[in-house]
Amino acid sequence: MKPEPQPKEVRVLPTFKVNKHGLYIFLSLLPALILVSLFIYYPLLKGAIMAFQSYSLFDLTNIQFIGFENFKQVLADPGFRRATINSFYWIFFSLIFQLSIGFFVALLLKKRFRGRGVYQALVFFPWAMSGFLIGIIWRWMYNGQSGVINDLLIRMNLIETPIPFLSEPNWAMVSVIIANIWYGITFFAIMILAALQSVPEELYEAAKMDGANKLQELIKITIPFILPTIIVTALLRVIWILNFPDLIYAMTNGGPAGSTHILSTFMLEKIIYGQDYGQAAATGLIIILLLIVFSIFYLMATKFDKAGDF
Amino acid sequence: MKDQLTKGLVLCFSMILVLIIISGCSDDSSSNDNATGDDQDDTEQDNGSDTVTLRMVESLTSPARTELLKGMIEAFEDENPTIKVELISPPLQSADEKISQMLMAEEDIDVLEVRDQTVKQFSNNSFIEDLSVYTSEWENWDSLNDIAKHGATSIDEIPYFIPYGIYEKTLFYRKDWFEEAGLDVPETWEDVYNAATTLTDPSQNRYGYSFRGGAGSSDYVEFMTWSYVGENIVQDDGYFIEDGSPMFTTDEAVDALEMFVKIYEDASPPDSISWSYPEMVQGFTSGTTAMLIQDPEVIVTAEENMEEGTWDTAPLPKGTPSGVAQQTAGTAGWGIGAFSENKEEAWKLISFLSSPEQNLHFAKNNSLIPVHKSAGDDSFFKEGYFSSYIEMNAKPDEYLIADRPVDYKGWGEYRGVAEKDIQSLLLGDITIEDALQKWTDYWVDQKEQQ
Repeated sequence: MKPEPQPKEVRVLPTFKVNKHGLYIFLSLLPALILVSLFIYYPLLKGAIMAFQSYSLFDLTNIQFIGFENFKQVLADPGFRRATINSFYWIFFSLIFQLSIGFFVALLLKKRFRGRGVYQALVFFPWAMSGFLIGIIWRWMYNGQSGVINDLLIRMNLIETPIPFLSEPNWAMVSVIIANIWYGITFFAIMILAALQSVPEELYEAAKMDGANKLQELIKITIPFILPTIIVTALLRVIWILNFPDLIYAMTNGGPAGSTHILSTFMLEKIIYGQDYGQAAATGLIIILLLIVFSIFYLMATKFDKAGDF
Repeated sequence: MKDQLTKGLVLCFSMILVLIIISGCSDDSSSNDNATGDDQDDTEQDNGSDTVTLRMVESLTSPARTELLKGMIEAFEDENPTIKVELISPPLQSADEKISQMLMAEEDIDVLEVRDQTVKQFSNNSFIEDLSVYTSEWENWDSLNDIAKHGATSIDEIPYFIPYGIYEKTLFYRKDWFEEAGLDVPETWEDVYNAATTLTDPSQNRYGYSFRGGAGSSDYVEFMTWSYVGENIVQDDGYFIEDGSPMFTTDEAVDALEMFVKIYEDASPPDSISWSYPEMVQGFTSGTTAMLIQDPEVIVTAEENMEEGTWDTAPLPKGTPSGVAQQTAGTAGWGIGAFSENKEEAWKLISFLSSPEQNLHFAKNNSLIPVHKSAGDDSFFKEGYFSSYIEMNAKPDEYLIADRPVDYKGWGEYRGVAEKDIQSLLLGDITIEDALQKWTDYWVDQKEQQ
């Protein structure tokens, strides 16, 4: 028995309508899709494939699939373990101080005062500079012989001999983290300031009428209101801080003796010295994996769904 | 209505963007030819005239050098009106990577800068042309000095590039401080150590030696070890001695590394454990350190920043008891890309840039050791700060040249490994024996893989 043609036509008509609408959406999205695919997903895919290949710049005529060999070599590298531990310190301390100081700066900037615009521009200026350039500036500031920081400390009689900021492993890690904190405060200040300005004034007025003091206003109104922003910006920052090799690369190049390598500079080293794109790609995949796992736990732990949409 | 108009505009804009992206991604060779930015060229190309545009990429880029090169290219274009040259100057830090990527993408680069560090990789991947077809008929080939010829043919005896200059290290020292302290110009590493400790006075922020413990430090361990081991080094397999074992197995290597550590501990700024090129040069030119071992381009920096008569150059210190100094002669030059469609014209440009007159001009203005024998007669190189180089080259039995093991797969990685080990050694985390054993194992393994 032949199927009846009637219901088919009925189904086609609305689909056609949706298609026309869908086509418009699709065409509008197409440029972005092409750009993102070309510059993000294609390299990502290519990198993922490379992680399983013997892809060394030294001999491109002999590229083969070698299974998990690159991963084994990277994981067996003592530098990888150190870079992983360093990455933890790098992210943790950078984030804590960037967030708290950034929050403080945003609170200061919320209030209107004379010259606020100029002050705001000055505070936000570091964000517009290249990380590599900032690294070079800090590297000279920390210099033991001609650096301004040691010079100031000596002039203030706080120290007698220069502190080996970048030449002693523990100092070096602290020094790069301080530079990173300085750089990242701005981002939090911008984001949190934007969120602060969206808190309705009526809430504060109501709180005042109920006799709340400033601290109570901060804890009961301000923080809960801007919490979604803080959660998302903190997550973004964790990802960015881990993927931010510029500062360390320019300041210490991972030294002395590999003591300031984080995972992303460790990956760069695999390319620059070893010319081994395979091992570098494997490191990259490990970083992605770590970030995915972290993001899932973070969002679950912060009960992000309940915090509302962002 | 207004909404529809906006929608239409958005759609239109999207389509235009898609078209731009698609056309940008398509492999349109004519767009490459037109990249000169010179409208006249474009017209000539379109008209189908015989004008050829060469694409040339440099690697050791600096603003001053790019200007110098452009001037030379202009002279070439004046002589050859049918050839235009488009010079591509990627930033120094990533230039070699950029060139590799262009070659991996089989771009038609006609002339490219090839260095002793990259020649093996380029030839291995068939990225560059064998130039012997051209050099066999080139009148200036025999006028090249031995180091330049050796550099050009360092891989399989095939000329893959024509060097434009030679990089060798020399000793820079504070003439005024030495005279004040009644010290002689150091001839050996022992002399360097003694003079450096005499001149060190941390309370005045003055140190004897501009030490390099950061990026590039392995080069310094390398030429110190070479100088101590001396003639036992196999010249064209520089990290190995005559019996086939790595140079790090020798007693002289222990002596060299002990001296290296002593100089850091007793006569160098503590901070110099992380110093690389800019800090060590700045340390010397700013009056913090008394001695520096560096390439000839530092002559220009020192001339600009220091008073005449306060500093001078001297030949590289010798090892003991070998009585020789030994270093690599870095070379860089111009080669032809394998995917070039204008190889004849590319050679024309290379032979022009490599002629004795042009090379002398380039070497003088770029502070390099020239590649032609005739340059030794030029007063610029014969006298003054360059004379230490001429002296070293005139005594090949005392100042030896060895080749870096660039043809081993692990060469690049070794430098990274060694730099970390050197810093660990200076920090006291590992011993000299640990470091030498690690490097020995590394090179035994490399030899087996070869």
